[in-house]
Amino acid sequence: MDLFIQRLFDGLFNGAIYASLALALVTIYRSTGLLNFAQAELATFSAYVGLVLAGGSMGASFGGLAGTGLLDGLPGYPFSVPVAVLLATIFGMVAGALLEVVIFRGLERGSPLALVNVTIGLLIVLSGLTTQFWGGAARIFPQLFPADFDDFVWIGGARLRYTTIGSWATLLVVLVVITLLMNRTKAGLAFRAITSNRESARLMGIPVGRTLMLGWAVAGGLGALAACLTASVVSFSPFTMLGALIYALAAATLGGLDSPKGAIVGGIIVAQAQTMIPGYLGLPTELAVVAAVIVLVVVLLFKPSGLFGTVRVERV
Amino acid sequence: MTPAPPRPKNQNSSQGFTSLGWLRWVLPVALIAVPLLASELQLRRFTQVLVLVLAVLGVNLVTGYTGLISLGHGVFVGIGAFAMANFLDEWNLTFFLALPLAAGVAGLAGLILGMPALRVRGIYLALITFGFALVFGPVARRLGSITGGPTGRSINRNLDPPAFLGLPEDYFQHYRYALCLLVVGIWFWIVRNLVESRMGRALRSVRDDQLAAVVFGVNPVTVKAGVFSLSAAMAGTAGALQAYLFPFVSHADFDVFLSLRLYAAAVLGGLGSIAGAIYGVVALIIVPALNGLIGIIGSEEIVFGLGLIVLTYIAPNGIAGIVDRRRAEADTDSTTS
Repeated sequence: MDLFIQRLFDGLFNGAIYASLALALVTIYRSTGLLNFAQAELATFSAYVGLVLAGGSMGASFGGLAGTGLLDGLPGYPFSVPVAVLLATIFGMVAGALLEVVIFRGLERGSPLALVNVTIGLLIVLSGLTTQFWGGAARIFPQLFPADFDDFVWIGGARLRYTTIGSWATLLVVLVVITLLMNRTKAGLAFRAITSNRESARLMGIPVGRTLMLGWAVAGGLGALAACLTASVVSFSPFTMLGALIYALAAATLGGLDSPKGAIVGGIIVAQAQTMIPGYLGLPTELAVVAAVIVLVVVLLFKPSGLFGTVRVERV
Repeated sequence: MTPAPPRPKNQNSSQGFTSLGWLRWVLPVALIAVPLLASELQLRRFTQVLVLVLAVLGVNLVTGYTGLISLGHGVFVGIGAFAMANFLDEWNLTFFLALPLAAGVAGLAGLILGMPALRVRGIYLALITFGFALVFGPVARRLGSITGGPTGRSINRNLDPPAFLGLPEDYFQHYRYALCLLVVGIWFWIVRNLVESRMGRALRSVRDDQLAAVVFGVNPVTVKAGVFSLSAAMAGTAGALQAYLFPFVSHADFDVFLSLRLYAAAVLGGLGSIAGAIYGVVALIIVPALNGLIGIIGSEEIVFGLGLIVLTYIAPNGIAGIVDRRRAEADTDSTTS
């Protein structure tokens, strides 16, 4: 039983990360029909901006490749870590909104092929920029919450780490803010109108482009926050979030690609499966990623709407 | 006597899709000139990139001709390379047996992975193949007995040209180059015949209107699975040749960015065009070279990514589309004057 609770706690942190990333993916998908493959790279870039803001660009790093980035060696800004994370999140929001204006607005009626091309192009560019600026090696970011060896509370004979509590507290606050934004403001109403029927919304005089910008900002901010939370716990490289992206994609698909609630639930389920299945079946943990892809394929084949998504009927 | 009507500018005629145009003259000259001018090291590098044209052509066949977005062809390059390493080292097969077998293994993998994937369409297929590309690295890392695990494995077989040719050692690299060129040529010939045949029309019909294709008696699932498997075999051949050219294979060489680079090259060159695959690989060769010369942006990735974004706007049919358009304009000019 203790072991079960421990595994439950272990999966909770990743659950918060996958849920935020999945929610970011879903926010964009339901409003534009676009799967943002570049989500992880945008998040990573924002987290590195946060690193610079926290004065950590000269921070401790692993591996011989460290310090090879263009921006390494420049003095960072001496913000405290929470402020730096907040600013990085705002950076992610602005970057997301800018991407909508500069790149995606022109492709509003683009074919799936064109949308995939542009997101893949974006993924490649952002990943290239991150490795250019900060090098490809993993490094240790400053801690947002106490994450040392003995920073945990005992609950039911298992350790619940402060970082897990802090991450979920942050995520819950963000979720409340997003829910209020979507349900209590005029911009949120416009956004929901667009997701339910874009053409009608346009005819009703809703500024579609500007409202989609809001969705991109929310997604960019969520991704940035997820990356900052990840970076403050594990050693972080430009490719860390790409590893999380596959779980987030599985989570979003499992929950239903157009359901925000599904993204959260899917994120928690996928993260639990990631710790429980290898733990109880004695499988190597790296292979949990295979389970994520199997989830992806099985859900898309047999129940494309996922747990909470809208069932789409295709007229033949 | 009525003047001959001007040739239509349409992009859909099979002529516009498969003809190589001026490449027909430039390409042979370039391919013969390279081994004469390049140093041994340059020739080795050039050959390694050259064989990637097969993988790009595979992506092109699947995404361009059949409309199935594949972000995961790097997986099949990897499978081909690992299969080749095992056939050469563990099974002691000769190169000429190992190569088609490695391609076959990749083709089979394409069939197995394609079966579920091809039942979904559009962006969902992109999603699934992207998933494949992301997990291949970790899986290959784990299967140490086949792939050499985290460190990779070297191929210890003697891969020198057969002794009866009596080639001096200075020309070994030229032999490898010629051999790879031959294999690439055979694949191009197969694909060219395929897309010009009844099968090629079936592919395009599935891409343009699946329902209409069904009405005309084309079974989309069979067609898609077949073409996906074939393109996987092409990518596998590219991987097997890379393992032959550089006898060391590691999971790190087949990460998600290989798949994305192949996809980018196929789109940049021009989807749905055989010449496009060649332009795409020319871009794969030239962009890093130019980058090295200019040295402003240290990363060729950034150039590729930006190219992908910009071309989606200005030239959805890639470089081949630009070339075709120029040619069509030149044609109308000459007929009107």
